[in-house]
Amino acid sequence: MNNDYLDPINALNMPEMADMTLAVDFLMRAKEGVRNTAIALTETVSPEARSLLRRQLSQGIALHQEITDLMMRKKWFHPYELTEQYQLDQLAAKNTIMIGQMNLFPDDTSRKGMFDRTPDEHVGGHQA
Amino acid sequence: MKPRTLAPHESMDLHEVLNFKTLCLAKSKLMQGLVFDQELKALMQKDVEQSIQAIQELQSVYESVPFQAPVPESRPEPILNDGGPLQ
Repeated sequence: MNNDYLDPINALNMPEMADMTLAVDFLMRAKEGVRNTAIALTETVSPEARSLLRRQLSQGIALHQEITDLMMRKKWFHPYELTEQYQLDQLAAKNTIMIGQMNLFPDDTSRKGMFDRTPDEHVGGHQA
Repeated sequence: MKPRTLAPHESMDLHEVLNFKTLCLAKSKLMQGLVFDQELKALMQKDVEQSIQAIQELQSVYESVPFQAPVPESRPEPILNDGGPLQ
């Protein structure tokens, strides 16, 4: 892989890398969701709020399990074979740094004027 | 006597949980367009559906926070225009 986003070599197994990265993000959010909900629950006193958070907590735990199982099946996550996990971590870090150094977006992305007025307002007069 | 409004601490935590869930919904929806693996996409769709329901439940409980107020149809000032307050 190199810094040229047009070089086809960079497309080699890009889908797997993208899927793995997106899955890791999904897993991280699920973990954070469980932790946040558990903490919120321990600060909640109103019965209705408690029952709601308890339900969301168990739902979150179940989803976290599902994501973990999928990732292990797809070999995107190796909680038992840490040497495998080490290699994935380092590879993802290296590739993501390279992507980080690529010049992927136009300099000016403000898209000023495209969203902040009705289409013909600036034309004015009878054409507006 | 069941108090009308939620206690301060739980209200702030509901604020955090609601915002977190909202962002997770946005992200899962966005990522469905990016993932290649269809099983992963299906699991994200499940997350989207669960999150929508969870958010609706949170929204209704959140209505009984002490700092509740009527919600305007949309943000009064457009966010992107030059003179907008958030420039």
